[in-house]
Amino acid sequence: MVEIENPTSLINKDYESIELVTFAEWIEDFERLANLGVGLILEPGDDVYLIQNQLDLIDLIALDFSNFDDGRGYTQAYLLSKRWKYVGEIIGINAHLDQLQFMIRSGVTSYQLLESYKGSNEEDYSNGFSLCYQAAANNNGLNLQY
Amino acid sequence: MYKYSEKDTQFLVERVDQFEKQLNRYLSGELDEDKFRSLRLRNGLYMELHAHMLRIAIPYGILSSNQLRALADVADKYDRGFGHFTTRQNIQFNWIQLPEIANLLRDLTDVGLHAIQTSGKATRNITADPLSGLTEGEIEDARPYCELIRRWFNLHPEFSWLPGKFKIAINGAKLDETALRIHDLGLRLVKNKKGELGFSVYVGGGLGAAAMIGPETASFVPIEDILSYLESAMRIYNLKGRRDHQKKLRIKFLVRELGAAEFSRLVDEDWQQTKNDPELKLNLKELQSLKEDFELPIDPINLKGFRDEVDFNYSIWKKNNVRSHKVSGYSIVTISLTKLGSAPGDATSEQMRILAKLADQYSSSEIRTTKRQTIVFPFVRKDEVFDLWKSLEEYDLSSPHQGTLAQIVACPGRDYCDLAKAVSIPIATRVQERFNEMNKLLDIGDLNINISGCENSCAHHHIADIGLLGMQKNGEEYYQITLAGETLHETNIGKKLGPSVSSETVVDAVENIVNVFIDNRKSEEKFTDVFKRIGIEPFKEKVYG
Repeated sequence: MVEIENPTSLINKDYESIELVTFAEWIEDFERLANLGVGLILEPGDDVYLIQNQLDLIDLIALDFSNFDDGRGYTQAYLLSKRWKYVGEIIGINAHLDQLQFMIRSGVTSYQLLESYKGSNEEDYSNGFSLCYQAAANNNGLNLQY
Repeated sequence: MYKYSEKDTQFLVERVDQFEKQLNRYLSGELDEDKFRSLRLRNGLYMELHAHMLRIAIPYGILSSNQLRALADVADKYDRGFGHFTTRQNIQFNWIQLPEIANLLRDLTDVGLHAIQTSGKATRNITADPLSGLTEGEIEDARPYCELIRRWFNLHPEFSWLPGKFKIAINGAKLDETALRIHDLGLRLVKNKKGELGFSVYVGGGLGAAAMIGPETASFVPIEDILSYLESAMRIYNLKGRRDHQKKLRIKFLVRELGAAEFSRLVDEDWQQTKNDPELKLNLKELQSLKEDFELPIDPINLKGFRDEVDFNYSIWKKNNVRSHKVSGYSIVTISLTKLGSAPGDATSEQMRILAKLADQYSSSEIRTTKRQTIVFPFVRKDEVFDLWKSLEEYDLSSPHQGTLAQIVACPGRDYCDLAKAVSIPIATRVQERFNEMNKLLDIGDLNINISGCENSCAHHHIADIGLLGMQKNGEEYYQITLAGETLHETNIGKKLGPSVSSETVVDAVENIVNVFIDNRKSEEKFTDVFKRIGIEPFKEKVYG
């Protein structure tokens, strides 16, 4: 396929393969790419506000959480999910086990763990608490104690 | 006194369980050093020079006697029999063994204590005026707001991985005991013209190598809107804060680079999107319930005809350590832990148990910690102050140093801390030895000396009358001197006196500075008043001659 440069893809929640484009590619050529049903990879440094008015053109947004200490992805997820009510899939890629609870509650709808965590009990880390102290994008079934 | 509910305690237990799993994965090699560092700091655990340091939160500096006893037990069971009260009202233990940490934390959950967010790049313990609720003329008791804001940012999903640490102080009094404008974010409770309650917000203050006084970003945020405003400020910081430079992580650098006006505009723009979200409104019902929980446990008493004991030592101690209470018949008593040769802020487990016992007897079982590393008994009957003093005498805790130069604030320094460039505690001891006459101390009066072992400024040297900052020069320990920092009436960062002085001469320099002050002061002038009137030159001349 020649229309998308450096294509990568991932499997979405419906087990379909979705081709991904970078944020820069999307910004430069979103009118054409919108017709191809692609997903978009958002790095922590990408300005999520630039796609605020294009969300209905994007099938899936992958937020990259590979840098453990870089928390910008949580705000990106919050803005997409809660503030702009993006209805497509928000997938956290290169995710870390110990951060699942933060990702999910910020609005990430699915995730792919980094290879090194394979075999761990994910449930333990995605929802290890009985309550939460703040209303967030997703309270993940926790009782709000506030 | 406010206590955690069963649900809150359950949350603490769940957090310990989670941390124990992380610790075990690290010990088995499953979790790498970098990730574990980030995770352990979020639970107050530092790898120090000789052992592991664990910092326990004392939310807004309030402890019950039972909590203090539990901390004493921790000191005996897991440490070497003492703890260190910090300048942010917390307590830390310096000799903890890694595999024992989960058990230690589990012991503390029984009394509602924890280490959540006592370090790391997240919202830290919220500090408050140790006299909150106790003094006349207060605008509003800050404690219920501290608790609501503390809860909200407890493992907040969006703001637990900020560019840098985030310290909040809240002040409800007219004088600022909290030093709120040197915090990442400071909140001042204020009333508007209609008499409605809200907060003035100051963002981007901080000490360290680039000390800054936080500018006001909002003059009045109604109390019910404060959570959404705080979220907006943190959101702008989270997205735009410097993550590319280790020394520019704090929000003060972002505020400085953007300019306060532009930062405020960005926050306001974001806030307009969320301020009307009912989920983000402060829970006024819960606020009311907390106000009831924080009601003072005492009623006015009539002590007509009461005459206090006359005793020379008692009167000196009373002058420095006792102040008036808004409830008639009561006093506020400050207990200084300062003793020659002991580290400022250090308390032995025995001292903690004695203080807990005395708090039960004389202070409605409540104890408060202060940024000057002292202990406050908030509810002492005036006719029992003498008895309390006698008991303190018996246990060698009646140091009358509160408010004098000898009440030095110092970080653990190079004796304990991996980051420190120079020692702090031995310098404090040498200064105390130099000024060891009580008459001299009383003559000098209220004068603060703070000593930090490095630019991280844990001892807040920038806001002391005399600040000492430890550094290294050609392998030798040197101290930079700053003068006339203050926060109480207005916020000023101390001015650098000149070139740093050697460890050998630093105490002479301090004495010279004190002498310039004494020689120049008029009647009741404070150090900062004299400094403003005569300028820095006379101090320079005397020190560098």
